Amino acid sequence: MLRFEKVSKIYPGDFLALEDINLVIKKGEFVSVVGHSGSGKSTLLKLVYAEEHPTNGHVYFNDRPLDEINRKHLPYYRRNIGTVFQDFKLLPQKTAYENVAYALEVSDGTEEEIKELVPEILDIVGMGNKMEKYPRQLSGGEQQKVCLARALVRKPLIIIADEPTGNLDPTSTWEIVQLLLKINEMGTTVLLASHNKSIVDKLNLRVVELERGKIIRDNAKGKYEHKM
Amino acid sequence: MKFTKLKRTFKEGLDNFYRNGWLSFATVSVLAISLYIISVTIILGVTANIVLRNIQDKINVSVYFNSDVAESRILEIKDKLVGYQEIRSIDYVSKDQALEQFKKLGGNNPSISQALDELGDNPLLSALVIKAKTPDQYDIIAKAIGSSSFSSDISRIDFEENKTAIQRLTSIIKIVEQVGLTLGIVFVFIGILITFNAIRLTMYAHKQEFEIMRLVGASNIYIRMPFVFEGIFYGASSALIVLVALYATSRFLSPITQGSISGGDIVSFYFGHFFTIFGSLILSGVLLGTFSGIIAIRRYLKS
Repeated sequence: MLRFEKVSKIYPGDFLALEDINLVIKKGEFVSVVGHSGSGKSTLLKLVYAEEHPTNGHVYFNDRPLDEINRKHLPYYRRNIGTVFQDFKLLPQKTAYENVAYALEVSDGTEEEIKELVPEILDIVGMGNKMEKYPRQLSGGEQQKVCLARALVRKPLIIIADEPTGNLDPTSTWEIVQLLLKINEMGTTVLLASHNKSIVDKLNLRVVELERGKIIRDNAKGKYEHKM
Repeated sequence: MKFTKLKRTFKEGLDNFYRNGWLSFATVSVLAISLYIISVTIILGVTANIVLRNIQDKINVSVYFNSDVAESRILEIKDKLVGYQEIRSIDYVSKDQALEQFKKLGGNNPSISQALDELGDNPLLSALVIKAKTPDQYDIIAKAIGSSSFSSDISRIDFEENKTAIQRLTSIIKIVEQVGLTLGIVFVFIGILITFNAIRLTMYAHKQEFEIMRLVGASNIYIRMPFVFEGIFYGASSALIVLVALYATSRFLSPITQGSISGGDIVSFYFGHFFTIFGSLILSGVLLGTFSGIIAIRRYLKS
């Protein structure tokens, strides 16, 4: 489903963020990307949702090279992808319900779909009773659940989660991870960037480790730290 | 589908407008102040122009003919003068008409009518009352008539007597027009700049939201349209505020302008031109709001 071929990314100022990345992610996989801050995790994820383009090499989504998507079609491509971030990125002037509905509105969902799907998905993430709250009235964990709901509502093929638990307490963290697992079980590919050791260890799923922009490890059932 | 999009983005814009509370209030205030300054400048300019036109209208030059010149000769001269391109209108005022006007002006003052009775004969002269197209042409007209073939029939031209007054008025009119135009341009420019900046700041406050919207998969149109509508709401609501403010201003100014505008004072001018003022306010408010919004938002949509 996702394929990186000899991908490098150099930011202005000759900063090498990624170097010669070759990576294949299959449909339905749950992949954790680990590494120190600045190791290139976020850049790797940005390449997937086409916020950045590789300096060299190509990223393919279902065999389609992403750098060939023109800007006009980019929004349509992004509708295949659900994104979740450390800083939530909810629209502050909208309620939980409206934030989730927005994702459907911009992708031309009908009013009926919105009325049916949004409460359903908010129920799934456990926010059914707080639909009318604004982000500022919600805790970090609750906001992240709304983000997950927004990412899920369009039934994306893949969920990109960039440090989704970075700002959360342990209980919320575990709730979010459980939700991601549940999503994955339903068939959605999950790409998770994290430097939370306990999560990655407990998941015991595929781990890709980055260091200074290079893949130094790719284990089918890995732990956060590579033990010799 | 297009209609749904329009409906959704319109609702977005409306939601933004009232949920932003203070920000909207501040933007509308700034927009209203600039619109107010612009429209007061324009209205003062228009009013000053009308007042000056009225005064200009009262200026004329009278050519008095010797008492032995026959009426037919005067009318013949009048026909010749009609050909002058500087002349806007010529009215013939006969001796008798002049006397009547004189009596009217004197009112019922018994000493004046007594004096006239004592004179027995009508002492006034027949005259042609000439109005020029612009005040600075009186000099040319007076000179041309003074040196014309019929100058021997003329008793006197009252231009010399009014010359300084007319010339002073002419220069005042010119200065007022120039100063008004310059001030108008400056204020309009300032108003546009202020508005543009206010809207730019508003958009800057939304900056992070643009990024979120793009990540969620909203197309540029979908991101832009609500802000266009928001700009329209800013423009329309400030136009309404200015409309009320202008009414108050014209009420305040009405004692000063009483009688100097044909057909009443500035309040009646306001109501007489209500729809023009209303229309241009809404239009300029909406245009200012929308275009500032579009220009301001453009930089955040480049991906």
